Amino acid sequence: MSPMSRRQAPRRPRVGVVKFASCDGCQLTMLDLEDELLAITERFDIVEFAEATSNRSEGPYDVLLVEGSISTPEQAEEITRLRREATMLVTIGACATSGGIQALRNLADHDAFRNAVYPRPEWIESLPTSTPVSDHVAVDAELYGCPISGRQLLELLTALTVGRRPQLPDEAVCAECKRLGNPCILVAEGVACLGPVTRTGCGALCPSFGRGCYGCFGPKESANTPALAAWFASLGYDDGEIARLYAKFNVGAPAFHQIVEAKR
Amino acid sequence: MVRVSAIEPETWFLPRRRLDELVQALRQGGRDVIGPTVRDGAIMLEPIETASALPSGWGVDNSPGVARLVRRDDERVFDQPPGPTSWKRWTFPPRVTQMAWNGAGESDGDRQPQSATAAPAPMAFLGARACEIAALAIQDRILAGGPVVDPDYVARRRDNLIVAVECAVAGGTCFCTSMGTGPELGGGHDLGLSELDDGFVVRVGSDAGRRIVDGLGLMAATDDQQQTAEDSVAGVRAAMGEPLPMEGVPERLVAAAESPRWAEIAERCLHCTNCTLVCPTCFCTSVSQRSDLDGGSATTERSWESCFTLDFARVAGGNFRTRPEDRYRQWLTHKFGTWWTQFGSSGCVGCGRCIAWCPVGIDVRVETQAVAATAPAPSIARPIVVPASFPAPAPPVTVVGKPARELAWAQALVVDSRRETPDVVTLTLNTDDALLLAGRPGQFVMAALPAVAAPPISVSRFHPDGLQLTIRAAGAATAQICALERGATISLRGPLGRGWPVELAEGRDVMIITGGIGLAPLRPLIDELLARRDRIARIHLAYGARTPADRLYKDELDRLAASGVIDVAQTVDRAGPEWLGRVGVVTQVIDRVLCSCDRTIAFVCGPERMMQATVDVLHERGIPNERIYVTLERHMDCGVGLCGHCQLGPYFVCKDGPVFSLAELGPMFEIEGI
Repeated sequence: MSPMSRRQAPRRPRVGVVKFASCDGCQLTMLDLEDELLAITERFDIVEFAEATSNRSEGPYDVLLVEGSISTPEQAEEITRLRREATMLVTIGACATSGGIQALRNLADHDAFRNAVYPRPEWIESLPTSTPVSDHVAVDAELYGCPISGRQLLELLTALTVGRRPQLPDEAVCAECKRLGNPCILVAEGVACLGPVTRTGCGALCPSFGRGCYGCFGPKESANTPALAAWFASLGYDDGEIARLYAKFNVGAPAFHQIVEAKR
Repeated sequence: MVRVSAIEPETWFLPRRRLDELVQALRQGGRDVIGPTVRDGAIMLEPIETASALPSGWGVDNSPGVARLVRRDDERVFDQPPGPTSWKRWTFPPRVTQMAWNGAGESDGDRQPQSATAAPAPMAFLGARACEIAALAIQDRILAGGPVVDPDYVARRRDNLIVAVECAVAGGTCFCTSMGTGPELGGGHDLGLSELDDGFVVRVGSDAGRRIVDGLGLMAATDDQQQTAEDSVAGVRAAMGEPLPMEGVPERLVAAAESPRWAEIAERCLHCTNCTLVCPTCFCTSVSQRSDLDGGSATTERSWESCFTLDFARVAGGNFRTRPEDRYRQWLTHKFGTWWTQFGSSGCVGCGRCIAWCPVGIDVRVETQAVAATAPAPSIARPIVVPASFPAPAPPVTVVGKPARELAWAQALVVDSRRETPDVVTLTLNTDDALLLAGRPGQFVMAALPAVAAPPISVSRFHPDGLQLTIRAAGAATAQICALERGATISLRGPLGRGWPVELAEGRDVMIITGGIGLAPLRPLIDELLARRDRIARIHLAYGARTPADRLYKDELDRLAASGVIDVAQTVDRAGPEWLGRVGVVTQVIDRVLCSCDRTIAFVCGPERMMQATVDVLHERGIPNERIYVTLERHMDCGVGLCGHCQLGPYFVCKDGPVFSLAELGPMFEIEGI
C-alpha cells in the first residue's frame, strides 16, 4: 500500500468500479458517502464507474472495486481480463465475496430452474453456480456485507491514501454489539441471532434494533457455525428454521453453506 | 470517594418511599448516578435521574446461556443477579480517544501528538454488589496500581461514590462464595444497603457516606431490621450451595496447558468475545487509527478488545494464537491462574456474567474443574501463591500523579538513514529527551507517525545524542518509518521493557546467537560488552542470515571480526560464489564454538523456531536455563502492561520482558499457542 502513500504519490490513483451479478447496492453505498465524495474525487481519479458517470475506461486501474458474483461464462472471462488491468483488485459485498443470495442456486438444480422460468431456456447462458470473484482470480482485499459498510469503504480508501493496512477487523458482530451496550438478544430473549458467527462491520445494526443478526457480512474467521446451530436446536428451532437462517446473502460461504446442507 | 478511616458501625433505615431522596442526594453537585434499570429485556446499568427508573418488581432467571426477565409481585428493586453491563462500562468505557494529531505541518513528523484527557462528571454507582466491588478493586490494581497508570481510568474512577447492595437473591450463575468475594459486603463502599420489603438497612462505609446519611436524617435501624438483613444474605450464601473446590486450581490450570479438554471446549466455543466483554475485570484494549482521507488530522482510539479475536496475538510476521483452543486456554488460564501471579488475586470474582451471557452457555464453573482434573499429577507447575481470603477491596484510586512518563511522546529528529538490506533500514535519531537517552540494551520504543499504528521497535544503538532504530518494512507503519528521510521527525515513547542483564556477563564467556534482524536488539548489548571488555572472558557472536546481502551492519561486523576483540562467526542459508564464509544454519556454528560452557552465558534473538533449535544445542553443550536469555516478540499496543496483548503466562512481554531467561519461561517457551 505504501506506493500510494501521500508521501510518494505523484498522481491520483486510477480507480475503477465494475459490477457482475449483483443489485448495485454496494456501489450506491459509495455514492451515499456524500460528505466525503469530493475529498474522494480529489484523492482518486475515478475513471470507470457506470453507476455514477458515463465516462468509461477499460483500464488499467490502480484500484479496481468489483461488485457482484460470477454467474455466466462471459463474466468468468471478463473478470480474468480485468484482473490483468488492475494493480489492486478489491471485491465489495456479499455477491463478490461469497456468491450472494443467487448462490442459493448452487444448492438446487440449475437446469430445472432455467426450464421453469424461461420460455426459451436454451437462450439463457448461465453457469450452474454463482461464485465469488476469489474463485476465479486473485483478490487483494475484500469488503464484506450486503451491502458493504460505507465506513469500511472509506477506511479502505483512507488506508490507501495515508499508507496504512486497512482496519477491517474479523471479530464477531458480538464484540461491537457489546461495546454499544446492547444486551444479547439471544441470551435475553432466545431470538436466533447469527452475530456470534458473523464478521463485524455493520455496527451491530440489527441487534441494536431488537432483531437477530442476519449474517450479512458472512462468516467470521473460524466461524463455529455447527456449535451455534446445536444451541439453536436446544432452544427449540427445527432444522428447517436453522437452515433458513443461513440460507441468505452468504449461503455460498463454506461455514454457512455447511449448515444449510446439513439441515435442509 | 471511599476513605479507609476508623468509623463506628452505624446502621440506619431508609423507608422505601424515601428511596428517591437518596438518589437525589447522590446527584448533588452534578454527580451522574448510574444504577440498574430495565432496557431491551435485560437489567442494564445506566444513568438514572430518579428512583422510579430502578427495576421495581423485576427479577431475572439466569442459567448458562440464558437470562430472562421475570415479573414479580413486589416492589423490591435490587433482587436480580448481575446483568450484562458491569461498572467498567463507566470507569473504563468501550471507546476512548487517546491522542490526536491536528493540523498540517511541514511534514507529518513535525506534528506532535496531543494526549486526549477525559474530564467526566463525577459518578455515583448505585447498586454495586460485593463481587462487583471486588472487580473494581481488581481493575484499580491493574490500571491504577502503577508503575504506569492509565490516566483515563484514573480520571473516571476518581471521586466515585459507591452505594453497594448486599444481595438478597442468588442468580443461577452466581458463584461469589467460591471466589471469596461475596455475597456479604466486605468494604470498598461509601454506603451499603440491604433491601427489606419496606425499605433499606443502610450501613455507613466512609465519611462521604456518613454525610449523605446525615443529610437524609434517617432513623437508626432496629434490631429486627438488622436481623432480617443478616438472614437475607445468609440465605443467599446457602442458596449458592457448597463452594467449588478452588484450592490448587490455579496451578493445575497452568500445568494442564496441553490438556485435550481445551480442544473439546473449542468445539463448543464460538470465540465471539461475549465472555470477556461482560467480564467486569477483563481489561484488554486495542488501539485503532481514525483519520480523514488525507491524514491531515488523525486520532487514535482505544477500544475494548478480547483475547478471543484472531487479531489479538497477531504480529507483522505471524500469529501466536491462531487456534480457538489457544484463545480459550489463554482466557481461562489467565483469569483463574496466572492472574494471581500478575496481580495478587484471581481475575474471576464469581459474578457469573460470562456463564449467563455466553451465547452457548459454556460454564467456567464446570470448565475450570474439568481442565484442572486433567493436569498431570504431581503438578509440574510452579506454585501460585493464593492468599487465604480475597484481598480486601482497596480504597478507590487516589493516584493524582502526572500522566506516567512512559505514556508521553517525545520528538526525535532523523539525522541519518542507512539501508542495511533491501527491506531493512537503520535510522539515526537525535533527541533531547533524557529518558530516551538513558535507555538500556534490549529495551524498545513505540514509534508513531500520524494515521498509522505505532509499532514497538528495539533500539539498535544508543549514542550520546540519541539512538538508532533498525527497522524492517514488515507492514504499512514500518514501511513508512523506513521511508523517513533526513530532517524528518518521529514521535517516540520509551525506553520500555526489561533489557539484557549485561552485568551477569562479567567474569563469564558470552555467546550471542542471532539471525537476520535479530541482531538489532543485540547490538547495544555488544556495545556495552565492549565497553567493559576487560571484565568479560571470551565473547562469541554467531550470526545467521538468509543470504550475504541480508546481513545487517556488514562493515561493522567485518571490522569487529578483523579486530579479534570478539569472535564473529557468520553463516548464510544460501550464497553465490562470491561468499567465502560458512553456509548453513546458525545452530551448526554454535556447535563448533569453543567455550568453557560451565561459565558461559548465552543471549539469543531470532524467530522462535530458530531460538528453540538454538536452545536445544545450548542444552547439549551443558548451558543451563538460568544462563540462557532470549528476547521475545509479541503484539504490543501500549508497551507498558495496560493493553494486555502481549500476555505470556504470568508475564507481560512488554514490561516483564522482552528479555527473559529460559528459567523464567519454563515450558511456556515450547508449548504452541501460549
